[in-house]
Amino acid sequence: MNNLFKSVILSKRHVLSKNTGLIFNAVRNHWNYEYKPGPYPKTPEERAAAAKKYGMSIEEYQPHPEHMGYGDYPKLPDIGADSKDPHYPYDQPELKRNFNEPIHSSAEIFGEDRYDISMRPRFSLAHQWTWFLGTLAGAFALYIYLEDYKIGRPVTAKQYPTDGPHYLFSSK
Amino acid sequence: MGQIMGSYNARNVDLYMDDKPTFDHQAGFNFDRKERVMVAKEEDLISARIPPQNRDYCAHYLLEYHQCRYKNMPLLYKCAHEKHHYLECQHQDYVLRMKEFERERRLRLREQRLVGVA
Repeated sequence: MNNLFKSVILSKRHVLSKNTGLIFNAVRNHWNYEYKPGPYPKTPEERAAAAKKYGMSIEEYQPHPEHMGYGDYPKLPDIGADSKDPHYPYDQPELKRNFNEPIHSSAEIFGEDRYDISMRPRFSLAHQWTWFLGTLAGAFALYIYLEDYKIGRPVTAKQYPTDGPHYLFSSK
Repeated sequence: MGQIMGSYNARNVDLYMDDKPTFDHQAGFNFDRKERVMVAKEEDLISARIPPQNRDYCAHYLLEYHQCRYKNMPLLYKCAHEKHHYLECQHQDYVLRMKEFERERRLRLREQRLVGVA
């Protein structure tokens, strides 16, 4: 609480003196050097240093392509949490991750309750799409074909006074 | 089922539900056919805000039925006679449509026979 006050007074003096609208700052005003990955490693020494930083060996360290803008963050193999061994004693069993293991750059969608990219589906995607679109197309084709075979009641159009004179079946 | 068995063959002469009659209204009759009279007035229908699909030859019974409902709400059982008159008129209208359909079908069959002979 005191730190917050101090950070506000030190960094936003003009706010406190001019008007007392904004006293508490919800966002921290400091930067940790580990918040952002380093630049893309170009020389072998830089690669070795980056591999050591992320706790990987030099053979398995692989950065993302430079144009993607990920810097030296490692490109881990795409394995979803659902595909990992369930009986191994992980340090963090909820994430199926050990201590100091590097986290995948797309870890937010690879969780156990989300998309699993390394799953082998029981039916391939092509199979699924074929059956889905085939069912829809088949139903539609049946509908189009049966348009010529519709059955209606044996009546003529409804007679409204605005459609001209209508007649009964009796004499005047 | 009954409506199918009698009229399924009407599609042989290219006649389907809700077709308009194509022959002259007087063809085949040895008397003058009576015209249908529209009893309810146009301004009454507009003022009562009757939907256009209900502004047919039975609209005067519908107007009376609406008046009865308005007077007797919420004791709507008292409007049974007006409702019966309206539904009876609708029934006769439907029977007339069925007769027109049958007449149209027979005239087309006759035409086919004549054309076949010629």
